[in-house]
Amino acid sequence: MSDLRIAVVCSSNMNRSMEGHSCLSKKGFNVRSFGTGNQVKLPGPAPNMPNIYDFNTTYDEIYKDLLRKDPELYKTNGILHMLDRNRRIKPKPERFQSCKDTFDIIVSCEERVFDQIVEELESRERSENHPVHVINIDIQDNHEEATIGAFLIKNLITQLSECEDIDNEIDEIIQEFEHESNRNILHTLQFM
Amino acid sequence: EEEDKESIKISVYDKVVDLLNQASLIAKENDKVGILKQVQELIIKKDSNLLDNFFDEMIAFQTGSVDVKKFVIGFMEEACKVDSDLLPKVMPSLQHLLNDENVNVQKKVILSLPSVYRVLLMWLSITKSPTPEMTQVWEIMASMKKQLYNMLDSDNDGIRTHCVKFTEGLVLTLSRRTEDSEVPKSIKTDEVSLDSLPDTSRYLKVSKLEEEGKKMFDALLQFMASPHISSINLITVMSSLCNIAKQRPAFFSRVVQAYEALHVNLPPTLAKSQVSSVRKNLKMQMLSLLKHPRSVDFLTNITTLLTDLGATQNEVLKVMPKMEETKKRKR
Repeated sequence: MSDLRIAVVCSSNMNRSMEGHSCLSKKGFNVRSFGTGNQVKLPGPAPNMPNIYDFNTTYDEIYKDLLRKDPELYKTNGILHMLDRNRRIKPKPERFQSCKDTFDIIVSCEERVFDQIVEELESRERSENHPVHVINIDIQDNHEEATIGAFLIKNLITQLSECEDIDNEIDEIIQEFEHESNRNILHTLQFM
Repeated sequence: EEEDKESIKISVYDKVVDLLNQASLIAKENDKVGILKQVQELIIKKDSNLLDNFFDEMIAFQTGSVDVKKFVIGFMEEACKVDSDLLPKVMPSLQHLLNDENVNVQKKVILSLPSVYRVLLMWLSITKSPTPEMTQVWEIMASMKKQLYNMLDSDNDGIRTHCVKFTEGLVLTLSRRTEDSEVPKSIKTDEVSLDSLPDTSRYLKVSKLEEEGKKMFDALLQFMASPHISSINLITVMSSLCNIAKQRPAFFSRVVQAYEALHVNLPPTLAKSQVSSVRKNLKMQMLSLLKHPRSVDFLTNITTLLTDLGATQNEVLKVMPKMEETKKRKR
C-alpha cells in the first residue's frame, strides 16, 4: 500500500472528516483526521441551540451526554450512530492546529477549513521543509453528502497514490477529477 | 566519574556498531531507515565525537532504496552542520545524488542544499588560505548551482517547484539583513546572511556573492512572469518572493510590483479553479506583506490589489500597520 501520509480535515472532526477517515483507512491508507474549529459543534434540539464541546471530550463522553439529553432525537437524526462509528476509529476529535506531524496530502472539506489550514501552515515555524499538497473538496455537512464526499476523496487519493511522481502528475489528476466529479477543487502547495 | 563517562562512551559506540550491523542485514527498507535514524540520533545528538568514526559507514548506505537515499541526504545535511570538515565528503555525494535516476531523491538533495550552502559559506569564510580540498568543494557547489539554475526549466513540475525553494534559500543567504528584516524563529539561530561573513575573508568576495544573490532574485521574478507557468509553480514562487520581501525588505518594492503585474496578467493556461487557487494565494501573500512595517510605503498599491482580490475592509484593517508606527517611520 502507498506510504503517503494523509490528513482529512473538516470543522469539528465529527462527520465529513471522519467519514473520509473511515473510508480511507478501510482501503489501507495511512490516514488521520482533524477539525480546524475552536470547538466541536453538533446539532442540538434547534438550529440556534447546538451542542458544543471542547476538543478534549471523547466521542464516548459525547455519545453518553447526548444519550442522556435526548436519546430519541439523537438516534433519529443519526448523530448517535455517527458518534458510535467515530469512537470505534479513535478516542476523540483532534484539532489540526495542535498537531505538528508531517503529511504529504491534506484534504479539506470546505473552503473556510482550507483557508484555516493554509493560514496555520504559513504561520508555523517550518521544521522539515517538507512539501505538502493541500486540496479542498466542498462537502456539505450532512450525512448523505459526507458519504458521497468520502467516496470522492477516496477516488482522488487512490489515483494520487498510484502515480509514480505525484508532484509532477497531480495537476493533471486534479483537473480530470474536477471534470469527472463536476466540482471545483482548490489546490495549493505548502512547506511544513 | 571519568571512568563512568568512558564506559558510557563505549556503550554508545557498541550500540552504534550493533545498529549499523542490523541495518546492513535487514531487508525491509522501512525498518532500515528506522534503524539508521537511531544511529543518526546517537552520533549527531548524543555523542557527536563519534560522528567522524561512523560517517563513512553511514553514507555507504546511499546506494540503497529511494527512502534510504533520502534518509542519507538528510543525515549528511545534519552531519555537516555539526562538523563542517565533513563537507569534502558530503558535497561529492550530494552531487552524485542530484543526478540520481529517481526524482524524489533529486528533490531531497535540492531541499537540503540551501542549508549545506550556508555551512559551506561559513566554513570558507574563516579560512586564511583555502586548501585545494576547499577550492574543490566550492567548485562542486558552483557547478550544482548552475545545474539547479537550469533545472528551473525542467520538464518536471515538482523539480521546478523545488528549484524555486532552493533559489529562495540562496537569495536569503546571499543578501543582507536590515533592521526591519522579519526572520522566522526557526531560522534565526542558524541564519547565515552576507552580514555573517567577516570582512576579512580572503577567499569569498562579498560583493560578488551579493551580485549573485540579486541575479537569483531576478531569476525568481522572471520565473513568476513566465507565460505558461503551472499553478503550483506559481503559488510556490509567490510565497518564496513573499518570504524574501519580509526577511530582506530591500527587495520589498520589487516584489509588490511583481505581484501587481501578475494580478493583471495571470497566465492564460490556468484552469478556472486554478485561477481561484492562485488568487486566493495572492491575497494571502498581500495580507502577509501588509503586516510588515515596510508596507507603509506601499499602502495604496497593496490595499488596491487586496480590494480587487476580494478582501473585505475588515481583513485589511486587521493587519494594517498602526498609524503611529507609520508616523514614527516617516519622521
